[in-house]
Amino acid sequence: MTQPNDNLKTTGSAETLNGPAKVAIRGLLTGVSGLDDILGGGIPEFSLTIVGGTPGSGKTTLAHQIAFANATPNRPVLYFTILGEPVVKMLRYQQQFAFFDTAKIGSDVRFINLSDVVMDRDLNAVLDEIMKQVTAANAGIVVVDSFRSLARKALSEVGEAEVQSFVHRLSAFLTSSQVTTFLVGEYSDGEIEENSLFTIVDGIIWLSQVAERNSVLRKLQVVKLRGQATVPGLHTVRIGYDGLQAFSRSLGLMGNKPRPAERRQLSTGIPELDNMLGGGIHEGDSLLIAGPSGTGKSALATQFIADGLRHGEPGIMAIFEERPEGYTERAEAFGLNLRAGEEKGTLEILYLRPLDLSVDETMFAILDAIKRVRAKRLVIDSLVGFEMALAPGFRADFRESLYRMIGALTGAGITILSTVEVEDNFSSLQFSHYAISFLTDDIIRLRYVEIDGQLRKVLVVIKMRGGNHSKDIREYVISDRGVVVIEPRRTDYIGLSTGIPYRSGPRRAQEDEPPPEAKVAE
Amino acid sequence: MNQATPKLQALARDLIVHETLGRTLSEFDAATVFQVIERLRAHLVNLMGTGGFQALLARALALASVEVLWLSKIHVNAAGTFEGLETAHREVNPAEFLKGRIAVLAHLLGLLEALIGLDLTERLVAEIWPELRSTISLSADSEVQSDAAK
Repeated sequence: MTQPNDNLKTTGSAETLNGPAKVAIRGLLTGVSGLDDILGGGIPEFSLTIVGGTPGSGKTTLAHQIAFANATPNRPVLYFTILGEPVVKMLRYQQQFAFFDTAKIGSDVRFINLSDVVMDRDLNAVLDEIMKQVTAANAGIVVVDSFRSLARKALSEVGEAEVQSFVHRLSAFLTSSQVTTFLVGEYSDGEIEENSLFTIVDGIIWLSQVAERNSVLRKLQVVKLRGQATVPGLHTVRIGYDGLQAFSRSLGLMGNKPRPAERRQLSTGIPELDNMLGGGIHEGDSLLIAGPSGTGKSALATQFIADGLRHGEPGIMAIFEERPEGYTERAEAFGLNLRAGEEKGTLEILYLRPLDLSVDETMFAILDAIKRVRAKRLVIDSLVGFEMALAPGFRADFRESLYRMIGALTGAGITILSTVEVEDNFSSLQFSHYAISFLTDDIIRLRYVEIDGQLRKVLVVIKMRGGNHSKDIREYVISDRGVVVIEPRRTDYIGLSTGIPYRSGPRRAQEDEPPPEAKVAE
Repeated sequence: MNQATPKLQALARDLIVHETLGRTLSEFDAATVFQVIERLRAHLVNLMGTGGFQALLARALALASVEVLWLSKIHVNAAGTFEGLETAHREVNPAEFLKGRIAVLAHLLGLLEALIGLDLTERLVAEIWPELRSTISLSADSEVQSDAAK
């Protein structure tokens, strides 16, 4: 007798437009953050799935997490253990996770040791015992851990055909009993092609971990899952207090609504820069601000966000170098109030600096914040800091993941301003040492130039996709109003882009700059 | 390392008294004296297999033997049952025999608590003796309350 289960999601369609009604395959939600998206809507009900992979990759934890997420008194989970990790150890360690609910042990989640049956008797006896227990308990989910140990023991005594026949009978019985089954086992990559078990089962979830330099990467791959449109590829997995957490390569952004055809132009918060951009940044563009240290990239980013807040556009600042207080204090020095936005919930400043983050985790932190505040503007300050915050093993994936995230977010109409530090050399104008310009629609380059015995700052709009922009190189200062573009196009200098221009016109009279005042300690 | 705390010893005594309700100690033969452990055995073998239970019981016996000397004359066989019990039953006086029973059971519960935690141990015992569910509590708080109530 099937009991209704709230933890199910229907992923198939019961009706078609021009044909007979097809079966709706319901998906069991796994209780693992991010995994249901990767699976295309959960584990198909009544399927037989192998959870395989290398030791320590989280197979047993994943099985427990799914078990606790779906166990009910009416349709309990039967967790059969066979010659693998002893139950006492399993209970000892798994109860450290938040999902482990001790109140469910013995009623909703029942552990049954089959080691004695496996050791003393044959596969028929094992099947009989499983059938007896499943029928008696009206189980909804069955886990066999470790199935590999069972198969190995059986293979040493009977042929492969016997084992295959056992799996076939087990699968037929459990599916007919409306049971969703997980076979947990340690397998190596090569076995997927050689072991006939992998052909019989409906799904294969593969977990692995790879050490790279000082960090360990955990990955999950859905090798196959009948009846589901899964997200292909290797997905990052983290095991923490809450159990497994999966980070989909699609970043959960598949199916986002496309950006509107008619796009507004947004102010940068710097009127003269807006003019240079032909009226501002196009909504849904990705703008890159490139320049050396101290040229005002973060100041410009702050003004961009503050302008959005003024116009009712919530924003996120993902910062990797400076602390949040630095941003709010600088904003106050420019007469901009970021704290009010934070208090109203229209601005979040995410300070992301731990050095062992995976790129997808970081992306998810940003995406979660975007969803929370319904952000229209996003600042990433800076891309270099972002990459540095990642564990070394994840840096190889950085550009690919950034590309996916920026593509998906701008596609959904969110306007992104990223900064990148570029070292000035005094012979040419580099946009970035960093091959990321393909990520951006617009690029503004800031640089130092030596003029009249001073190191001044100039900016130029290098690129603006889908719009005309000024070709002028303009001088700017950072004042108590933030970045202020001050000078019209300088025609009396040649070679501004090199940083060491030479005069082509007459020297203009100018007042001497007063010496800087000493800062008063607060 | 003594895991058989006074609280566990009290629980062990309660379980034994509950199992032997209505009968006197002299009525027991060697086969039934460890009836509480037998009931635990059925559940624990289902959980951890015969080998797992045998190892756990042997460890409990080893720990209890330090406190009650006659226990060193018996041992746990591969099937997870006691051997040498009948001889010990004949030779040891009833009070000392009861002390040994309590010690083994208390250490067995203590081992479970150390391995799977207080909560799961309590649940396991309550599952086997549902009629005692309201009185089974091994937590420190309940110990304080219990002591205060005395």
